[in-house]
Amino acid sequence: MRGFLYDNGLGLAFGAAFVLALAGQAIAGRAEFNSDLITDGLQPVGYLAYLTSSDFAVDVTENWQSEYLQFFLYISVTVWLVQRGSPESKPVDKAGLESDHEQLTGEHARPDSPRWAAAHDWRQAVYSHSLGLVMGTIFLMCWFSQSVTGVASYNEKQLRRLEAPVDWGEYLARAEFWSRTLQNWQSELLAVASMAVLSIYLRQRGSPESKPVGASHSSTGVEG
Amino acid sequence: MGPAAALTGLLLAVTTTACGSLDERRDDARAAAVRFEQALRGGRTAVLCAVLAPGTREEVEQSAEEPCDRAVEGDRLPAGGTVRHMDVYGDQARAVLEHDTLFLAHFDAGWKVTAAGCEPRGEQPYQCEIKGR
Repeated sequence: MRGFLYDNGLGLAFGAAFVLALAGQAIAGRAEFNSDLITDGLQPVGYLAYLTSSDFAVDVTENWQSEYLQFFLYISVTVWLVQRGSPESKPVDKAGLESDHEQLTGEHARPDSPRWAAAHDWRQAVYSHSLGLVMGTIFLMCWFSQSVTGVASYNEKQLRRLEAPVDWGEYLARAEFWSRTLQNWQSELLAVASMAVLSIYLRQRGSPESKPVGASHSSTGVEG
Repeated sequence: MGPAAALTGLLLAVTTTACGSLDERRDDARAAAVRFEQALRGGRTAVLCAVLAPGTREEVEQSAEEPCDRAVEGDRLPAGGTVRHMDVYGDQARAVLEHDTLFLAHFDAGWKVTAAGCEPRGEQPYQCEIKGR
């Protein structure tokens, strides 16, 4: 059991922290939602009603979509763009998809390579982009969910203010949809840019996300 | 059953429950709107007041300085006719009638009318004869 926990500490710790943060969001979100309802002379809602509400769902999905967009972009853009001196970048002369030899694909696949890496047909093409495809697909699904739950949440507030509801297409052109979307995108893009640049000059001893403490500022694609 | 099948089952169950629940909520909200209109048409002010949301009822009584069933007699609420369209989002609803628009909210005691005698004003909120705070 100890071996399992040690071997999976990163995934388990972040998984547990995710659940706790989501629970905290539910508690704070319900309190804020109910405060608005009470102000409007309406009846506050319980936890089950809040957790299944569009208000909670849109707040969750707007953050999820931007996180998956961040990883999708990071995975895809770092194929082609490099950052000299950053451990987040590959060496500056390696921009691009790289050769079969470097990627261990086709005839260069090893005995322990995934089977689709050794294939010479569409399976290798799909597997070669599977990480970006999955992250991009989850991003699109979460963004779509944000739009659907967002229009429901928006319309609930519209009705509370004695205003007419809008349909999904109209909502996509409304400032609220883009405000929710872009405020999340900008923060994710800032975080990626900060990480790519700060990791050139700063170190975190023992972290695989950092260069070794003594590595030069100019060494690129070296992780500790 | 694998995790994917379990997740699919859960999503289907949630979707089915949510959709079933939405139809039910729309029917319940419509019934409250119809009850309000029938009471208005029949001059049954006590029933009319019982269908009003607490905040709206309080506002009606405060502005008229009379009990609700007397206060609503002086309000110029139009006879709305039949319900032509319902919008339900969460605990809020709008009932578009032939000659009026009602806004409703869900309480433990069921759907209640929060505003009535409402006229649209473009991008502005509806102008309503009676409404809550």
